[in-house]
Amino acid sequence: MTSEKRGGRGPIAATISVIGEILITLGLILALFVVYSLWWTNVIADRHEKKAGQTVRQQWAQHPQIPAKGLDTKDGIGFLHVPAMGKNYEVLVKKGTSTKVLNEGVAGYYTKPVASAMPWDPTGNFTMAAHRDGHGAKFHNIDKIHLGDAIVFESKDTWYVYKVYKVLDQTSKYNVHVTDQVPKESGKNQPGRYITLTTCTPVYTSRYRYIVWGELVRAQKVDAQRTLPPELR
Amino acid sequence: MYGWIWRHLPGNAWARAVISLVLALAVVYLLFQYVFPWAEPLLPFNDVTVDNGMAAVR
Repeated sequence: MTSEKRGGRGPIAATISVIGEILITLGLILALFVVYSLWWTNVIADRHEKKAGQTVRQQWAQHPQIPAKGLDTKDGIGFLHVPAMGKNYEVLVKKGTSTKVLNEGVAGYYTKPVASAMPWDPTGNFTMAAHRDGHGAKFHNIDKIHLGDAIVFESKDTWYVYKVYKVLDQTSKYNVHVTDQVPKESGKNQPGRYITLTTCTPVYTSRYRYIVWGELVRAQKVDAQRTLPPELR
Repeated sequence: MYGWIWRHLPGNAWARAVISLVLALAVVYLLFQYVFPWAEPLLPFNDVTVDNGMAAVR
């Protein structure tokens, strides 16, 4: 009888009102999910990546005698610098491309389906993936990378300077050949020292993959002050 | 639904407003901490790797 008193609503009106409230609630939850995906996951991942990056740099400083090749890759193998994606842009590179690894706000190098080569290997393709949106969104601005731009990988003791020679702005997510050791789709037929960045495209979806290929131009020893190579200045 | 909750909260209107706010924040916390992290991998918005379709990304 209380509902009758409140405004003389019958059971049908009361039911419709409850359904309406549930629908509004669902809408709010979806809106919150967008906030979570595009903002909160970035906050968490950036915090995590920054801390992990500091740990790696501390380890480098504490163990100067260990060469880069022998380093435990648990915390990360080095940093990727891409001036085209923003001045002072850098992202930690870790082993693996599982959701767990990538959600830490890092770039992960492939272990499967095609295992990545390391930048210090005599030949091979150094392949990696990172999120386009959310969880740090480290490759969000991948479309700002153009032919001829520099991609620099910083290991403990060496700057590996790559030059972008091919961009594939859309391919199937099953196209694992883009990460081949000799990426034929980029026009290469000979073994060389390549780098491949992969992420999803268009932004905010995972329909296709976006690929950027680069080739090593030179490797430069890191000096005591860790002076940046000219490409990053 | 919300009317029912409001009528069952104790205290005057101010107390009820404060309790409502706390409840709403608690719900947002539960969503961000537990529900969304669980739901996100089930949704096809954020797969960035190339794979052979064997759920390598998961």
